[in-house]
Amino acid sequence: MTESPEDLNFPNAVVTRIIKEALLDGVNISKEPRSAISRAASVFMLSATYWANNFAMKGKRKPLNASDVLSAMEEMEFQRFITLLKDALEAYKREKKGKKEASEQKKRDKGKKTDSEEPDKSRDEDTDEDEERLEEEQNEDEEVDN
Amino acid sequence: MAAAAAGSGTPREEEGPGGEAVAPPPQAPTGAPGARLSRLPLARVKALVKADPDVTLAGQEAIFILARAAELFVETIAKDAYCCAQQGKRKTLQRRDLDNAIEAVDEFAFLEGTLD
Repeated sequence: MTESPEDLNFPNAVVTRIIKEALLDGVNISKEPRSAISRAASVFMLSATYWANNFAMKGKRKPLNASDVLSAMEEMEFQRFITLLKDALEAYKREKKGKKEASEQKKRDKGKKTDSEEPDKSRDEDTDEDEERLEEEQNEDEEVDN
Repeated sequence: MAAAAAGSGTPREEEGPGGEAVAPPPQAPTGAPGARLSRLPLARVKALVKADPDVTLAGQEAIFILARAAELFVETIAKDAYCCAQQGKRKTLQRRDLDNAIEAVDEFAFLEGTLD
């Protein structure tokens, strides 16, 4: 069951922002090439997924992992991305670890809180709930299951 | 993280009728450009990955790396296309600049015929 390519495009606003930041100030891009670049990004991603999956299957693994994607980049001759992607992965892991530890710490703190009134915490709690919801969503989305 | 997100309050990417998305709040840069977290919505990346019938599962890290790779790809192809526009002494990227870049750069060969 294939979805039409339009459904799999990235939001125009985000693509435009990425393009504008890559180019110098004063450089514009008209609508047609911008949407073509957006489609190209989707094709790129489908291609990268295909190759990453190949590597996963070769390794007799089911879930695609980060190294499969890096191998795909090499296969597609985008070696120049690999260092940046490795850095990004490290930062992502650190960020996730930090968030997880912070939310676990807050949960422990909530458990400890007894009689002390802390009106200022209410704002933090709202933020916490948002973060926890995001965390839960992220945790639910651990693996993409077909 | 906005304490009160606009609209429904769920901090997910949302789409307007025209497909224009309310861009999710950009992730705070953690230093080097390579380390910046993804701007592309991960849910959309997941949808693309799921579109491949041979793929059954994909880890969170893989999804993130794919998103970041697609961003790098957009930056790269935009810059390469701009080189073509510069040669034409123009300040606006046009479709032909993109086509020229695709033809000129080996790594973009996989795009030929896919963007029409």
